[in-house]
Amino acid sequence: MGRAVRAVLMLWFLLPFVPILLWAFANRWPFPDPLPQQWGLDGVRSGLTAGAPHAFVVSTAIGLAVAAIATPAGALAARALVSGRLPLPRLSEAVLFAPLVLPAFAVAMGLDVLVLRTRVPGPFAVVAVLSVAAIPYTTYLMRVAFGAYDKGFEEEARTLGASRATVLLRVQVPLLAPALSGAAFLAFLVGWSDYVVTLLVGGGRVVSVPILVGSFAAGTGNSAVVAALSLAAVVPPLILLVVVARAGRRTEPPT
Amino acid sequence: MSTRLGLRDLTRQHPGQPVPALHGLDVDVDAGACLALLGPSGSGKSTALRLIAGLDTPTRGRVLLDGKDVTSTPAEKRGIAMVFQRPLLFPHLSVIDNIAFAARAAGLSRRDSRSASRRYLELVQLGDLAGRSVGDISGGQAQRVALARSLAAEPKVLLLDEPFSALDSALRGDMYALLRTVRNELNPTIVVVTHDQSEAAVVADSIAVLIAGTPEHHSDVRTAYVRPSTLAVHRLMGGLNEFHGCVTAGVHHSGLGSHELPAGVSMRDGPAALVFRHEMVRLTSAADSALPGKITSLQPAGIRCLACVRVGESSVFVELEPQVNLTVGADVGVLLPAGALHAISTAP
Repeated sequence: MGRAVRAVLMLWFLLPFVPILLWAFANRWPFPDPLPQQWGLDGVRSGLTAGAPHAFVVSTAIGLAVAAIATPAGALAARALVSGRLPLPRLSEAVLFAPLVLPAFAVAMGLDVLVLRTRVPGPFAVVAVLSVAAIPYTTYLMRVAFGAYDKGFEEEARTLGASRATVLLRVQVPLLAPALSGAAFLAFLVGWSDYVVTLLVGGGRVVSVPILVGSFAAGTGNSAVVAALSLAAVVPPLILLVVVARAGRRTEPPT
Repeated sequence: MSTRLGLRDLTRQHPGQPVPALHGLDVDVDAGACLALLGPSGSGKSTALRLIAGLDTPTRGRVLLDGKDVTSTPAEKRGIAMVFQRPLLFPHLSVIDNIAFAARAAGLSRRDSRSASRRYLELVQLGDLAGRSVGDISGGQAQRVALARSLAAEPKVLLLDEPFSALDSALRGDMYALLRTVRNELNPTIVVVTHDQSEAAVVADSIAVLIAGTPEHHSDVRTAYVRPSTLAVHRLMGGLNEFHGCVTAGVHHSGLGSHELPAGVSMRDGPAALVFRHEMVRLTSAADSALPGKITSLQPAGIRCLACVRVGESSVFVELEPQVNLTVGADVGVLLPAGALHAISTAP
């Protein structure tokens, strides 16, 4: 890839962050000034007093819970799909990938009534619905990984005396670690960045980062706090991305 | 480490397949001996190995270790290690940790398992590669590490599934020498699968031949070459000379003439093919031979040469010594190896 193309791509990704970065540290930025008139941390302070730390904890918990459910579920579904032993494979595949074609808004609108009537606690319901939404992504990613996975490694391990549990922990999981961490990352993002399902199914009582950002964005004069929260919301996924990228290269070092 | 291996009527028919992949394999391998399972592609060799290892379940038959039936014992508890055609080294582990895998699986600490594995790494002469990533070693080294990893599991039986077929001829020679060293030092019972009769002859004490899933021959190496049970075995062992005719009172009659079969070989009267090894035929002057002929072609085979001699209506193949210098069209006499003539019944 040429250097110019790389530069254009970098610009494409970074350019949207420039106004957010400026707004996050702008106490006053009247139109049509090209730069803020007064720099400061008013936006950050407003976010902190409005419950940003709690919202970050809630979003992290939702993201982790969705990843914890959707990753193994997707891995198992993918394994079943590639095994060739699944009855009605086309139908199973259609059911697994159905959440991708159903609009989240329509599903959430229908489910919020059900959640209220069955008295399922809001956070649980949010995690459950988001996990279903994340499973197609994890299944797709893991299906590709299982397609390239060589079962010969497992057979070799078994002839070396490894039990099924040992095969899983010492062979299967390490070999699939890059795909598993990638799937977990995607599932985390589904939970971390969701707005519609959290708002409708959570009934307004589950305040995550997107809900907090949305509530500030709905008002006027909140550009600084919206920018500060949005900027902070990018950090956890970025850290996770670095962790995921490194997971694939890890080996057991000799002493 | 050595254990007697017995296979009784071992049969595997895959679901939906009209014929079994393996049908009625009966073989015994003495403790410390090496058996080569020889056969063309798709003859059921690898199926047999997978059944012995416990990676597949036989439709019928038994696998015995020192007389004990282990047919229903899972692979991980059978004590039978296997080296596959591809090294299948675990890419997330270093060379030493690959070899230490069996010890780790058995519950040893990382330090102890690595320490126990050193001996096997030294045995395959790769002591200085312990800390290397498996992605940084060559194909030949990887196959050595795979062998060391299986040996480190201290198996009762070691199975080798065409482990040298992906290596070049020089590396294959090195691996044969290494296998001899392993046999001298550890004396494991070995079953090696190969489609190469010369490899089988180099590494094994005995040869079992599978043709289309059916065992057609089992004997020591020399007998497999000289007295094959069927024509398919004769051809698989590289035999070139076969003359169809019939046997009457211990004498084979064909276009090549009448030839008495060696004493001690019982052969029923009836249609039969006379076979003998081209390496054992000698040429002499046409005047001194009962089988005078003319060389019709000379085909180089390394330092030696393969001659085709026309005798009457028949063609006899002869492998010539390096020092023999003959030309196409030369008149020669053929001396058949009287003690190594063999007849195979061709009765339907």
